[in-house]
Amino acid sequence: MANRTSDTIPPTASPPPPAPLPTADAPKRHSVGLALKKVDTNPPKAPNLAAEPVEGEEPVTLTIDGEQVTVRKGTNVLEAAKLLGEDICHFCYHRGLSIAASCRQCLVEIDKMGKLQPSCQVEVRPDMVVQTKSPAVLKARQEMLEFTLKNHPIDCPICDKAGECKLQRHYMDHDHSLTRVDVPKIRKPKHKDIGREIVLDAERCILCSRCIRFCEEIPGTSELTMTFRGDHETLDIADGHRLDNAYSINTVDVCPVGALTAKDFRFAIRTWELQATDTTCPGCATGCAVELHTKHEQAYRLVPREDPAVNGHWMCDEGRYTYKELEPSHRVQYAEIEGHQVPLFDAVALTAQRLQGKKVAFVFASTATTEANQALAELCELVGGERFILGRPIADGDDILRDPDKNPNSRGAKLAAGDVSKHEAELALELAGRAYEAVVFLDDEGELSDVVLQGLSGLTSICFADRRTKLADACRIVLPAASWAEILGTYINRNGLLRVTRPAWRPEGDRKHRADLIGDILRQLGRDNVATARERTRLLAEAHGHQELLTMLAEPKKMRPTLLRWANTRG
Amino acid sequence: MTIGVKKVSLTRTTRDQIFLPAILEGLLTTARHFFKNTLTPGMGDIDTIRYGEPEVDVKDYYPDRFRGVHRLMYREDGSVRCVACMCCSTVCPARCIYIHAEDRRDDQEKAPASFVIDELKCVVCGFCVEACPCDAIRMDTKEHMVPTETREEAVLGKIDLMKRGGPSVAVQGGAAPNYREVAPKRDPRFEHDPQ
Repeated sequence: MANRTSDTIPPTASPPPPAPLPTADAPKRHSVGLALKKVDTNPPKAPNLAAEPVEGEEPVTLTIDGEQVTVRKGTNVLEAAKLLGEDICHFCYHRGLSIAASCRQCLVEIDKMGKLQPSCQVEVRPDMVVQTKSPAVLKARQEMLEFTLKNHPIDCPICDKAGECKLQRHYMDHDHSLTRVDVPKIRKPKHKDIGREIVLDAERCILCSRCIRFCEEIPGTSELTMTFRGDHETLDIADGHRLDNAYSINTVDVCPVGALTAKDFRFAIRTWELQATDTTCPGCATGCAVELHTKHEQAYRLVPREDPAVNGHWMCDEGRYTYKELEPSHRVQYAEIEGHQVPLFDAVALTAQRLQGKKVAFVFASTATTEANQALAELCELVGGERFILGRPIADGDDILRDPDKNPNSRGAKLAAGDVSKHEAELALELAGRAYEAVVFLDDEGELSDVVLQGLSGLTSICFADRRTKLADACRIVLPAASWAEILGTYINRNGLLRVTRPAWRPEGDRKHRADLIGDILRQLGRDNVATARERTRLLAEAHGHQELLTMLAEPKKMRPTLLRWANTRG
Repeated sequence: MTIGVKKVSLTRTTRDQIFLPAILEGLLTTARHFFKNTLTPGMGDIDTIRYGEPEVDVKDYYPDRFRGVHRLMYREDGSVRCVACMCCSTVCPARCIYIHAEDRRDDQEKAPASFVIDELKCVVCGFCVEACPCDAIRMDTKEHMVPTETREEAVLGKIDLMKRGGPSVAVQGGAAPNYREVAPKRDPRFEHDPQ
């Protein structure tokens, strides 16, 4: 098998993950002949260091709760305790943001320091002795929680954060008593529309200033600010501004309570009903690490996962909406020939029959996985035909995370298709000129004009579609492909890193991995020993030295979604 | 503690062996109850409820904690008390409650756009009532689910459930008309102890 696929899969001895792929495939990204601006591909750097010691730096050894721990120099006590499994409760500290030490929730006792110290702000020193569970610390923690809850409306039943709220969790862990306050609570704006994506509930806000720091430090737009003082201190937008930056929904993620809620997710579902699957955002060539939150084969939101090499802690608003393409009503579930639903086998057999001895155009997709593109390359080699690459058009980008190339797998498609320089324009021109008798589209995405789409009905047009798009509707044979939320597959992002997309649910109906569908066609054409999608994934993982993916392939149980009820708080 | 053995004597007397006295005793008891319950004007100590007769309200005989068909309570302004927190649908062991939330665009913020209970699936456990933080759902109607001709009729929507409902002025936390504006009563158990 390795021999059969060796021409489409990179050699097994390629360098470990951070190193780019062989440069022959790298330089020109898919575009309509446009030379793209070189973007700074480094994610925003987290100001706080993780506590794991790194090679080449002198570590620091300190004692936390009587246990010795060796951590990286420059990290803080909170991170060091986390390494020991000691989760010091905190609100305002976030590894990706600067330190404010304003919530005073993470106070700990440190020897030779008179007062309790905020553990997020204290840098580790050799021979430090820290107590995180002494009676004084526990009392301080409980009393700080009481202060925080003084004006909190406790409207958990209508709060979208309930279930993954830090305040709820810390209250249950550290306070768990009734209120002693007998004066009325301060009223603040309850639902204020502060941006395109965000609603603010100022009453719920615990004034940790994470969102303010996010807007200052990551997009650098500083729309949020604190107004008034003392009890009346309120989070608000700065005069004349609205929270409209391209990364605004990250403020919802960093918010430890439900003060900032996303309009898209507002009242959609309760968080504890959701299943979380670690996957990759298919919105652009950056390939941010994300969690897909689903219930009953329906996606509800995407939230970023921490990946220091790709996206830090963040993702863009545009990418959050890629889950919309998983809408159940748009899915293609069964094979169709000229609009009539047929058994999958019939459609595959017809496709194989129609491809033989014809002039075929094979359209690779920079939106499909590398495995699918490799399989199509194999089919192309067997049948013989012209190669094209199709994808979403170039759009806006910036220097933070958003890439102008809106395809997740431009590099992977290019790698699999070989030296291909033909894109939308050439395809449209040649299809209009009736240069081919058959055309195979690997994905349902792509900007083709209506004239070209109408022309598709005159020839054998085959589309591997996961949802109903104009392109899928125009094709005569539609094969039901599984979407990115249903398969284990890999993308190769703009830096040449292997990005993994994992299944959140089983494919419905006859839907299958595109590589497996093409495998069926190859078998129909008389080819035996065809690699399955899973085998292709394993070869890719070995080639890139992707240990996590290899472990997942060995133990598929690790791929299963986690119920958010048993996961931790987020934010 | 060890298990001891108790020895019971099984010897029978002549009276036991001829059976007749025991039979007559039993017949006497039966006869006494028969004449007492049929001949006395107030029907003696008979406990049968004359179910279905117009002058008898069967609800008077049910205990207060009897769990009947669900109902949804409403606020003073007539809007449903439910805030679609999904606590009931989460705790429901039969998964028979289906709620979709909507934005009310006022200070109550959230309300159910649809609230459906499939009474055929319901196991009448009453967990939903326990879980409700807003006194929105109750099972105190003392009504049995009436048998229906089609399945659809047994699936009750928000309107059906509110028809049985009534006004409720209960407050979250159980203290005052508006829990945010008026502080709750002091609980002596949690009085501050200055140590």
